[in-house]
Amino acid sequence: MRVDVVMRYVGMVMLFIAGFMLLSAGISWLGGMDSSFYALLLAALLTALLGAFPLIFVEKKEQLTNKEGFCVVVASWLVACVVGTFPYLIWGGEFSLVNALFESVSGFTTTGATVLTDIEVLPRGMQFWRISTTWIGGMGVVMFALVILPSIGRSKMTLSNMELSTLAKDNYRYRTQIIVRILLVVYVGLTVLSSLLLKLAGMDWFDAVCHGMSACATSGFSTRNASIAYYNSPSIDAILVLVMTLAGIHFGLIYATVTGKRNNIFRSEVTRWYVGLLLAGAAVIAVTLYAAGLYPTFGTSLRYALFQFVSLVSTTGFATADTNLWPPLAVVLLIAGSIVCASAGSTSGGIKINRLVLAVKMMRARLRQQQHPNAVLRIRLDGVVQETEFLHTVMTFIVAYFMLIAAGTVFAALCGTDLTTAFTGSVAMLGNVGPGFGQVGSMNTYAELPAALKLFDSFLMLFGRLEIFGLIQLFFIKWWR
Amino acid sequence: MTGMRRRVTIGFLSIVCLLFFSGMVSLVELSRLSRDTDGILRTNQRNIELAKTMLDAAHGHNVALIRLAVFGERQYDSLCMASLERLESSLQAAQHEALEKSFLDSLAFAATELRLLTDNYLAFGVSERPASKPAAAGYADPVGARWYNDQYEAVYERLTAAIKSYMTSTQSSLAPRTEQMKKNAYRAVTPVLISLSVMIAIVLMLFYFMSIYCVNPIVQMNKGLGDWLTFRVPFAVKGDLKDEVLELREKIDALIALLKQNKA
Repeated sequence: MRVDVVMRYVGMVMLFIAGFMLLSAGISWLGGMDSSFYALLLAALLTALLGAFPLIFVEKKEQLTNKEGFCVVVASWLVACVVGTFPYLIWGGEFSLVNALFESVSGFTTTGATVLTDIEVLPRGMQFWRISTTWIGGMGVVMFALVILPSIGRSKMTLSNMELSTLAKDNYRYRTQIIVRILLVVYVGLTVLSSLLLKLAGMDWFDAVCHGMSACATSGFSTRNASIAYYNSPSIDAILVLVMTLAGIHFGLIYATVTGKRNNIFRSEVTRWYVGLLLAGAAVIAVTLYAAGLYPTFGTSLRYALFQFVSLVSTTGFATADTNLWPPLAVVLLIAGSIVCASAGSTSGGIKINRLVLAVKMMRARLRQQQHPNAVLRIRLDGVVQETEFLHTVMTFIVAYFMLIAAGTVFAALCGTDLTTAFTGSVAMLGNVGPGFGQVGSMNTYAELPAALKLFDSFLMLFGRLEIFGLIQLFFIKWWR
Repeated sequence: MTGMRRRVTIGFLSIVCLLFFSGMVSLVELSRLSRDTDGILRTNQRNIELAKTMLDAAHGHNVALIRLAVFGERQYDSLCMASLERLESSLQAAQHEALEKSFLDSLAFAATELRLLTDNYLAFGVSERPASKPAAAGYADPVGARWYNDQYEAVYERLTAAIKSYMTSTQSSLAPRTEQMKKNAYRAVTPVLISLSVMIAIVLMLFYFMSIYCVNPIVQMNKGLGDWLTFRVPFAVKGDLKDEVLELREKIDALIALLKQNKA
């Protein structure tokens, strides 16, 4: 493996991140050069220097091997999370080393969990940087760089293949160049649209853009301590429910629907499952809330239930209510939603509904196989026959996912947290959801957790974002040879 | 500047720039920290000075009132007013300069109380007694002494207690200020630490690039040339060569080819 070539591509990603730091410094400058200006400028300079250095020595290479592409993607994510801490650390405030790393990883992996007890005290430049990390991470650190940086050339295919989830690639029937463009068009389009709608609904421009970016990245970072509950506006809730739902659908399908193609969201089996699950889950939770007498009318119960359920299933993590106070059935459904999550090819994390559908179909096929031992059964998704090897990968992923949740729960319990916090915190971290229950509920932060657990959770977030095996492979020395 | 030389120069210049940069940042941050520390110490010293002046003024006022009320020595009324004014001006200065004004509320209240009581006494209390009563040794005015004991003493004690509380409060506010200073020191050190980390990363990268693009090829060429000279093993250097190193290999190849040609 050519380490120097890998370093060159990672350097390019760092330059791209430095650009966003500079943009945040610009926002700070426009807002009267607040206290974050110096920190952001300094961080941008250092990141740019670090990123530009390999470009001086290593010449452009057109071809990348799969292994090199894989390394570029994983290293880019890791390096992005590390350099993402620079502005936080230089600015100071509540950001210790562990807190800054947690916040940076939470941003880039679009988890949206925070360790800050007072978000509103952050200057605008820092707020924008915090949201920028989620927006970059939403599309994928490398994927974004692929679009912006023209010099990557033919390596685009290798890198995009490594960055995109295997499941996500299924719905694309285009060349790599076009796939990357589709992703960007849908992502930016959705962000602009949601920002405009939020502005019209009563947010100021800065908040509208920040929440628009955060919703499209399904991150859940907010500029307010009380998250969306701060606005207490049904219209803002409705807009965000729509945006979060769309952000949880395969971007290729959204593009196809907008451009009038045949393989659109209405014909997608996975999307039908996704929307059906959202509606059914929200309805059951609303009935539970209304029956428990938490809200005066069924309409209000439905409003809060729909927002919270969509927020957790799409792995966004915005909050309009304290779900810790909700009845047990509602809590269980919300946790289940946090595990399953939205569709592949979107910005969401978690197991993904595609895998759930396949797992259900495999179980059904297994039952039929027992009844008819000689039958040849094929499992299809969206009309496409799925190969046995691929189905094995799906099941392996699900098993590994639950094993990691178990490991996270055990470690959190070892650190002294209660069982609810330990379990739901691990689910929220691995699924890149953000809020859990107990100490890490929708109206709480991760500030009170011990430093060791915050570090462990940072790894869980990365595992979730890189779909587990991506990061695990990096730890096998044999693989490097 | 050509290839390899240019790259190495840029590499080293980056390190020099970073060194200079981290040095400048640390200088700026440390001077800021020094200014903050100096400011805290100066404020603290000034607070102590003001508290001392206030205590002196209160004491002077107390002495003057004893002479005036208990012994009937009228000439002390000017000292009484002068002490009160000194107290009030010190209080004003403290109110103007203090970072934490909440400590001064009770002191301001006690000073106002004293001012009202003194004004009231000077206006009415003094005139009630015969004007030309001589101040004889051991003489004490029973009315004035009672006023002093019943009314003045309590107010005076409240005032001195408030001044002492102000003095100790400025001392007790040192702890959070020191804590703040610790945070400032952390903030001052962080950019330097990050710059140093980046520099270490750059030095390691430079070492790696120098190794693979410069040192390793030269070592290989040396070995290849030695093998050719000793055992006539064909000269072949693998790896990604560039710039002057590539030219060097090409020239050695050409030289070997020329040598073979000459022998043939």
